[in-house]
Amino acid sequence: MATVVESMRNAIIEVVQAIIPLVVFFLIFQAAYLRYPLNYFLRLLLGMALAAVGLVLFIAGVFIGFLPAGEDIGRFFGSFEEKWMLIALGVLLGFLATYAEPAVRVLCYQVEKASTGYVNSRLMLYTLSIGVAVLVGIGMARISYGIPLAYIIIPGYLLAVLLLFVSDRDFIGVSFDAGGVTTGPMAVTFLMSVAVGAAAMIEGGDPLIDGFGLIALIALAPIIFVMSLGVIIRLKKGGE
Amino acid sequence: MVGMGFTLFLMGVKIGMLPMGEGIGSELSSRGSILFIVVVIFSISFLVVVADPVVRAMTIVINDVSSDSISRSALLFAMALGAGIFMVLSMLRIIYNVPIKYLYAGSYLLVILLSFFTPAEYLSISFDAGGMTTGPMTVPVILALGIGASTVMAGRSPLADGFGLIGFATIGPILGVMLLGVLLH
Repeated sequence: MATVVESMRNAIIEVVQAIIPLVVFFLIFQAAYLRYPLNYFLRLLLGMALAAVGLVLFIAGVFIGFLPAGEDIGRFFGSFEEKWMLIALGVLLGFLATYAEPAVRVLCYQVEKASTGYVNSRLMLYTLSIGVAVLVGIGMARISYGIPLAYIIIPGYLLAVLLLFVSDRDFIGVSFDAGGVTTGPMAVTFLMSVAVGAAAMIEGGDPLIDGFGLIALIALAPIIFVMSLGVIIRLKKGGE
Repeated sequence: MVGMGFTLFLMGVKIGMLPMGEGIGSELSSRGSILFIVVVIFSISFLVVVADPVVRAMTIVINDVSSDSISRSALLFAMALGAGIFMVLSMLRIIYNVPIKYLYAGSYLLVILLSFFTPAEYLSISFDAGGMTTGPMTVPVILALGIGASTVMAGRSPLADGFGLIGFATIGPILGVMLLGVLLH
């Protein structure tokens, strides 16, 4: 286990590597095309410096606190004989992660607007949260019983493709973006480490094969759900 | 610490990265050269994915869990390359007005097809890679860039065309990591 100082040092090296190419690109663009006034230019650079400091804290924090905690929780629940414990944990975490994510709320309002009020944003929020909860539950069940990811994700993807052709046009773009929205940074880092921890405890499980794949399911839930909503809307429209 | 770092980071993104993305986006459309648009969109998407905190943290985890058998830099490269290419496709879609569902259907079928050839140890990771590239750095910058560019381009509506950009960009990394797995085995 790396010490706090070591994690901080690693995080700083990380961030410098991450951000330098972006800054260089921006400098070239500034010199060649944008030519912002010096004041504004310095402001943007200040913003990037701020983001870099925040990034250092975030990454160090994830490695000192988030990941070990997630893995411990995963190992703890993964070690139970009763497999439903892990599944119940997944359902709970999936619901909370979606319900608490600010970007999900923004999306719900957008959908309410896009559907001209037909889809209530609160209803949408609850259904999205439940959708993600169910899929995280399925993901945990998959880890518990060692079901290959392909058996779940490929039918899911086929369903998504099918829905593309029957759903209302306006809902397609939003639904795929919703997949990105539910996979927020906290949810991803935390749930992923829980899954990796749990997979390490399951007999015959390989963390590399069984521990990953949960994020993919979280991203899939809103795609299927929001497009299904689009189908309902389309049917209603057609009926009138 | 995670929360504090994240708050600072978001502030920084708002002050620094967002205006940069918008500025470059509107610069793009005022130039009007498609080659120029393609090169710039590709470079920014690539760099932004490499710099995204979620991508960086999770590639370290994957590298650890695989006990170094999956190279982190190869993973980063595959994800960034995939995102870059798919962002360019997404932009071209807006320019040439291709219906979004054909692009999604085509690339999803490609993902399903490739998944039969991807080695098991890469399969779970590759699907996860899509969710990872929707990190806090990638999403705002790509949205700003896309909306900046699509508003000026031939009067496209930023709402109808702006939606779907993120979702589509996430398919690239899935395919990128799958191809990485296929090529390395």
